[in-house]
Amino acid sequence: MPRPRILVVDDDPDLVRALRLRLQANNYEVTSAGDGDAAIASVTKERPALIILDLGLPNGDGFVVLERLQNSQALSGVPVIVLSARDPKNNEQRALTAGATAFFQKPADNNELINMISFSLSPRSTQSAPSSS
Amino acid sequence: MDHPTTQVLLIEDNPGDADLVRLRLLEGKSPVNVNCVNLLSDGLASLTRETPSVVLLDLNLPDSRGADTFRRVLEHSPNVPVVVLSGQDDESLAIEAVHQGVQDYLIKGNISGGHLERAIRYAVERQALLRSLEITRKQQLEFKDQFLSHVSHELRTPLTCIYQYVSLIQDGLAGPVSPDQSDHLKIVLKSVNQLRAMIHDLLEATRAETGKMRIEPRCISLGELIRQTVAMMQPTADEKKIGLEIGVDQRLPLVHADPDRVLEVLINLVDNAIKFTPPDGSVLVQACVVEADPGSVYISVTDTGRGISPEARVSIFDRLYQDADSVDSNRSGLGLGLFICREIVRLHQGRIWVSSEPGQGSNFTFTLPTYSLAKLLGPVITHHDCLRRAFVLVTVELTPLSTAPPRNWKQTWRQCLEILRRCIFLDKDLVLPPMATGGAAETFFVVASTDLDRSRIMTTRIREALERVPDLQSKCTLTITAAPVDLPADISTRSPEQQIQSVADLVTGMIKTGLDRKQPFTGKTERYSN
Repeated sequence: MPRPRILVVDDDPDLVRALRLRLQANNYEVTSAGDGDAAIASVTKERPALIILDLGLPNGDGFVVLERLQNSQALSGVPVIVLSARDPKNNEQRALTAGATAFFQKPADNNELINMISFSLSPRSTQSAPSSS
Repeated sequence: MDHPTTQVLLIEDNPGDADLVRLRLLEGKSPVNVNCVNLLSDGLASLTRETPSVVLLDLNLPDSRGADTFRRVLEHSPNVPVVVLSGQDDESLAIEAVHQGVQDYLIKGNISGGHLERAIRYAVERQALLRSLEITRKQQLEFKDQFLSHVSHELRTPLTCIYQYVSLIQDGLAGPVSPDQSDHLKIVLKSVNQLRAMIHDLLEATRAETGKMRIEPRCISLGELIRQTVAMMQPTADEKKIGLEIGVDQRLPLVHADPDRVLEVLINLVDNAIKFTPPDGSVLVQACVVEADPGSVYISVTDTGRGISPEARVSIFDRLYQDADSVDSNRSGLGLGLFICREIVRLHQGRIWVSSEPGQGSNFTFTLPTYSLAKLLGPVITHHDCLRRAFVLVTVELTPLSTAPPRNWKQTWRQCLEILRRCIFLDKDLVLPPMATGGAAETFFVVASTDLDRSRIMTTRIREALERVPDLQSKCTLTITAAPVDLPADISTRSPEQQIQSVADLVTGMIKTGLDRKQPFTGKTERYSN
């Protein structure tokens, strides 16, 4: 059974590397992108199982990426976990309304992050929303 | 020098005095336009319509006397300079007036035209200066808030890197780790956590100072929160061989407070207690009701530590106050903990204080308001002190689809609560503060001043609004029910307070029954579920 692929979108290469090592140790495949355009190109080429998204990206922030994902028929079902150094006070609600599954503030506890990833990828959570009556 | 026309509002009921003032003002060098009224109410009405350059105020009017007069004017128009023209040379009244914000206090009959004109001009200048100082102060606070927000964001990035790589090594993902190495890394991680706490405290304290801290009160059980605090602080206490004890009254009433914030206060106080208590000491956390103050719950943290000197006690809740002899490192070490506690307690309309003597331990106590449904319902279920005719209890239940609710569940139901609040009429309906119902489901209650038939409009509005929440239906099921509150036939014979309490008791009973049985309420109900 192929390992689920996670796309990590963050412009900090050191952080991406650390996350890659940890996610691989937890049996995930990892691809990465350093900005919004690279992220969209990557998901268009191959749909990931889950996306970890930083908000502070060069050339347009994570919210732009979220919007583009939401507007895409094919990609709006991919769970997105926002991992950002920004203050949840203003950003958590905005991210969740924009379609993110969860908001973690950096530095995020590794166990909590891994649990959330595993929960987001479990069969029940990927059930598509029933059509409104 | 340019002399623009000064618009003067003269509030004076004595025609002779009014004419004299007009005369004096016309003697001056700058053009003056005088609008004279002889009642305070007319004066306030005029102030509402247009803003004059200055108000000349007689204190003894037909509809107001003395200090009340200037107080009401200042309250109505805090930014308009006020000069009192009084018949009495009352020194203490004059000082009180100035303290409250009046720019000058002149004695009638003692003023020449030039004097009056100068007094007005200076009053206008002083008011403008005050205004610009206030604006600068606000700008500075705003700047501080943004600056610290930015700084904390920047600090978190390298901190994250440290955390990630240290934990990678510690978890063996970069090769085997010796016990010594693991120990050292643990210490590094402890510092990482401290830094994290420091950044958090810095932001919290600034938010409190700039007035941006918000609390979200709910109906909570303190016993639960205290147990949680003790569980979290147990390892730290054990390390220092300090005993942590709980003493909570059996029938402690529910409290109307923000659980996350109260937890913050409790953790801060217990952490301090542990920090300042030598090994083999003890820390006791208690919660109880005090007979003399039934509307509050008293929570205290008592330690057998070294106590606090009288000098320190005075400034202990101030920002950045740090004890000169503090040796061990604590959670954040920035000295902001007690300041933050005080602000949180203040936002809850509570009080916090310390009693302590050097060498005899310390006791920190704070109060929180008890949850009283009657208090909340009163203004909404009565109209001009009369009880409204009919009430309906609407229940909105969000039940997650999976057994382990996702982390953002809190955000989802918070969003729903906000939406719910926008679906009601604030002056006759009330969304009850959310209660911790124990299960994963979130249930909200609305007491609506309407009958069952008309409540259908509200329930439809609620359903339509909630269904627009993105992804709601993929996360949970939405159940909305409405049940009439059966008022006893003799309710109109009771006193207003008893009536409100009766409705509150009935609603509480309905809620308890519904929660206990997890069923729709007895009586005629309509069920709208998906």
